[in-house]
Amino acid sequence: MTAALEDLWLTYQSTVAFVGLNGLLALSVYATLSCGQLSLAQAGFMALGGYTAAILTFHSGLPFALVLLAATLVPSLAAVPLGFPVLRLKGVFLAIATIGFGEVVRIVFVNLEFTNGALGYTGVPQRTRVWMIYAALAGALFLLWRLRRSRAGYALEAIREDEPAARTMGIHANAYKLSMVVLGAALAGLAGALEAHFTFMVAPSTYSFARVVDMLVYAVVGGAGAFHGPVLGAAFLTLLPEVLREVGSRVGLQPGPLRLFVNGLVLLLVILFLPNGIVSLPQRLRERREARRPGAARAG
Amino acid sequence: MRLARWQSVAAAAAVLGSAASSARAAETVKIGAAFSLTGNAAVYGAQQKAGVLLAVEEINKSGKLKGITLEAVVEDDQTSKEQGIAVFQRFINRDKVNAIIGPTLSTTATAADPIAQQSKTPVVAVSNTAPKGITDIGDYVWRISLTEAQVIPSALQIVRAKLGFKNAALLYGNDDVFTKAGFDVMKAALEKEGIPIVEIQTFATKDRDFNAQLTALKGKNPNFLMVSALAEQAAGIVTQARQLGWNVPIMGGNGFNSPAFIKNAGQAAEGVYVGTAWNKPSPDPVNQAFIASMKAKGTDPDQFCAQAYTGVLVVAEAIKQAGMKGGRDDIKAGFAKVSGLATPLGTFSFLPSRDGNHAAAIQWVKGGKFEVVQ
Amino acid sequence: MGQQIVNGLFLGSIYALFALGYTLVFGVLDILNLAHQAVFMLCAYVALLAVGHLHLHLFLAFPLAVLAGGLLGLLVDRVAFRPLRGRSDSNISGLISSIALATILEAVALQLFGPDVERFPFGTVPSRTLRLGGAVVSELQLVIIAIAVGMMAALTLLVQRTRLGRRIRAVAESPRAAQVLGVNVDAVIAASFFISSALGAAAGVLFGLAFNAINPDMGRAVELKGLAVIILGGMGSMTGAAVAGFALGLLEVFTVAQIGSSYRDAIAFGVLFLVLVVRPRGLLGQAATREA
Repeated sequence: MTAALEDLWLTYQSTVAFVGLNGLLALSVYATLSCGQLSLAQAGFMALGGYTAAILTFHSGLPFALVLLAATLVPSLAAVPLGFPVLRLKGVFLAIATIGFGEVVRIVFVNLEFTNGALGYTGVPQRTRVWMIYAALAGALFLLWRLRRSRAGYALEAIREDEPAARTMGIHANAYKLSMVVLGAALAGLAGALEAHFTFMVAPSTYSFARVVDMLVYAVVGGAGAFHGPVLGAAFLTLLPEVLREVGSRVGLQPGPLRLFVNGLVLLLVILFLPNGIVSLPQRLRERREARRPGAARAG
Repeated sequence: MRLARWQSVAAAAAVLGSAASSARAAETVKIGAAFSLTGNAAVYGAQQKAGVLLAVEEINKSGKLKGITLEAVVEDDQTSKEQGIAVFQRFINRDKVNAIIGPTLSTTATAADPIAQQSKTPVVAVSNTAPKGITDIGDYVWRISLTEAQVIPSALQIVRAKLGFKNAALLYGNDDVFTKAGFDVMKAALEKEGIPIVEIQTFATKDRDFNAQLTALKGKNPNFLMVSALAEQAAGIVTQARQLGWNVPIMGGNGFNSPAFIKNAGQAAEGVYVGTAWNKPSPDPVNQAFIASMKAKGTDPDQFCAQAYTGVLVVAEAIKQAGMKGGRDDIKAGFAKVSGLATPLGTFSFLPSRDGNHAAAIQWVKGGKFEVVQ
Repeated sequence: MGQQIVNGLFLGSIYALFALGYTLVFGVLDILNLAHQAVFMLCAYVALLAVGHLHLHLFLAFPLAVLAGGLLGLLVDRVAFRPLRGRSDSNISGLISSIALATILEAVALQLFGPDVERFPFGTVPSRTLRLGGAVVSELQLVIIAIAVGMMAALTLLVQRTRLGRRIRAVAESPRAAQVLGVNVDAVIAASFFISSALGAAAGVLFGLAFNAINPDMGRAVELKGLAVIILGGMGSMTGAAVAGFALGLLEVFTVAQIGSSYRDAIAFGVLFLVLVVRPRGLLGQAATREA
C-alpha cells in the first residue's frame, strides 16, 4: 500500500512542485498589482534569481539556504534602479517599460559567454525539495496577510483606488510602490532559484515574455483583490492542463492548442464576468441569490 | 528404478518450476517513448513516434527476443521541459517502464533525464545532439544520435576537398541551445582545418528577416558560409541570401536536415550542403527494408524516424545481450555490450562515453532532393 | 551601405504599417490592443489559404485578407473591449482581455494549421530583382514599401479629411463630449477597430510575402517591436508611428552592420526604455492629457 502511495507521489510530485512555484510567481505579480501597478518585469527578476543561485551552487560551497537568500537579494537590489524611473509612468506605459526590461535581461543572458549564453547551466543539482517551495509560499502568504492588515496595507489600497487622492492625504506613494516592486522582484528571484534547482537547469529561454503573461493570467484569474487569489489561480491553471490532457486525447484535440485555448477562454470569461477572479465567486453567487429573493428592494 | 517419494516430488516441482519460469519468460517489457507531439518540435516528434512503433511491431513479430514482448508507451512532452519531467515521472513510477526513449529536444532532456538517472532507469537519447549535458548526466543515459561534433568536422573536410575554399563566414542562432552548440562545433572545425573566419553574425529564433546579417556577411566576401539554424529559419536564410544576389556555397547543420527545408526554400535550396547522421540512399539491406516498411505505412521517413527506430533496435539488442532479461539494470548492462549492430543508420556501437558511433555522411540538395556527396 | 539602407526601409515599412493600427486604437481608446498581432497572423493565413487552396490571384487574396482583418477587428472590439467600457480600470482589463483573445485566436490557428512554418506557393509573386547602385532590390520589396506608404497616406487622408475621420478625432479627444455632440461613440470605435485591424492584416500578408514564413507564432516577435515603435513615435500619433517604424527598421539594420547582430533586439527595447524614461510622449506624441 505504501509502495503504491509512494509511486503516486513520485508520479505527480513535479506537478505539485510547479503548482507551488507558479503560486510564488503569481504572488510576485500580485505584489505590484495590489497598489495598482502593472509591472511585468518578473521574467527578468526570475532570471537574475535563477542564474545567481546556479552560479553560487557551482562556484561556491554555500549551503542552499544562503544561496536562496542571495538569489532573493540580487533581483531586489536590481529592482531599485529600475523602479525609480519607471514608477513615474502610468498604467500601460509602465507595463510596456517593464516588459522591455525583462526582454533586455533575457537578451543579455543569451549573449553572456560567462554563463554559456543560450545554453545556460545544465546539471544543476536538485537541491530543492517540494516542502521548501511550499514553505516559501506559506511565508509569502503570511507576509502579505500581515501587510494587508497593517497601515502599509491600507496605504497600498488607497494608492490603488486613487493615487492622486492618496498623495494629497500625505501617503508617500512612490516609496510604497517601489517597495512592492522590490517585493515582487524578491519573490520572483526566489521562485527562479527554486525552479533552477528543481529542473536541473537554467537557460534564458525559460524567462520569456510568454512566461510573464502566464504569471499575470494566474494572478488575474485567481483574483488580484485578495492575497490568496493568485495562488488559487496558479493552482487552477497549472492543474487544468493535466486534466485536459486526459480529455483532449479522447476528443481528438491536440493538448497544446487545447491548453492554450482554455487558458485564453478562462482569462476572457474571468475578465469579462468575474473581474475579481475566482476568489470572488462565492461572494458573487451570494449577491445574485440575494438579489433574486422575492421582496428584495429593487433600485428604482 | 523407482524414484524415492521425495525425489518424485522434487522432480514434479522442477517441472512445474520450469513451466512457471517459461510462463514468466513470456513477459512484457515496457518502453516509454517521450516525444514532442505538439509544440515547436512537433514536426520531429511525429516521425519519431512512427519509427518507434514500427520497430516494436517488427521485433515482436520476428520473435527475436524469445518470449519477451516489447510494449511501447508513447506520451507527448509538448516541447516543454515541465511536461517532459512530468512524463518521465509517469513512465517511471506509474507505468513502470524499463527503458525510456527520447525526449525530442536536448533542452527537455537536460531537465528530464536526471530523473531517470536518479531512479536508475535507462534512457536512450535518439535526437539530442547537444555535445555536452546529455550523457554527462549519468551512466543510465545513453545516446544514439550523433552530435554535431561527430558529423560536422568530417563533413567539412569532404566539402573542403571538393570546393577548396580559402576562408569562411558563420551565421547562427544565438538564443537556442541546439543552434548555439552547432555554431561552437562549426567554429572549432573551421579553426582545426586552418580556415580563417572573416565574419560571424547572429540572429534570434524568432527572426524572419536576415537581410541585414546577410548583407554584412556578403560585404566581407567569404568563399563559404556555414549556417547553424533550425528548419524554420534555414529556408528563409538561403532564400534571402540568393535574393541578395549572393551565390556563395552554403553548408548547414542538422537543422537543415529536413524535407521542410527543401519545401520552403525551393530553388534556393539547390546546392546547399548538409551533414547528416543518416545516409538515406545507402543500399544497405537493413536500411532499405526499414524505408520500405515505413513507406508501406504511409510515411516517408526522415532522419529522426530512422534514429528512433534504431533506438528500439538497440534496446532489443541490449535485452538480448543481457541474456534475454528485460529489467532496468539488465538493459543498462546490455547497452555496454552492444557492438557492431546492423541498423538503418549503419553499423552501430556505443562509445565509452555512452554516445553513439556510426559512420556519418554529407549530402547536398540536387533537383529538389537530398543526395549523398562522396 | 546602400543595401543596408534598402534592408532598413523594407523592414521599417512593415513595422510602420503594423504599428499604425496599434496606435490608431490607442489614440482613440487609450487602450493597447494586444490582439492586433493575432489578427496580423490570422490574416496572413487567410491570404495563404486564398492563394494556396482557392487558387485566387494575389490581387484578390490581398483585399480579401484585409477585409477579413477588418471584420476580425470588429469582433475583437465587440468581445474584448466593448463589455469593459465604463469600468474604472478599463485600461488594464482591456489589455488583459485582448491578451486573452489573442491567446484564443492563436490556439485556433495552431489547431487548424499546426506549428510548422508555411510559405506562399512558389510563383505567387514574381522574383525579379533590380540593381540600384550597389544594392539589390527585389520587385516585391518595392511593391511592399509602396503599399505600406500608400496605406499610411490613405489613413492620414481619412483621418484628416473625411467626416469619419473628424468623428474619430473627436472621440479620441473626449468621448463624452463627442457623445453630447451627437456622435455615435460605439460606432466610431468599431470603425476604428475595423481600420486598425485591416491595416494589421495588410501588414501580416505583406510580412508573409516578404519573408515566406507564416506560422501561429509570427505575431509575437513583431508585437514587441511594434510596442517599441509606437512608444518611440508617440502613442496616438500616426505620423509618429510611420516615422518611428522606418527609424526602427533602419536602426536595427545598422546595429547589425556596425555593432553585431546579437544585440539587435536589445536595441529596440533599449530605445523603448530610454524614450519612456526621458520623453514618454515619444517623438511626435502629444503630452498626456488623460490619466491612463
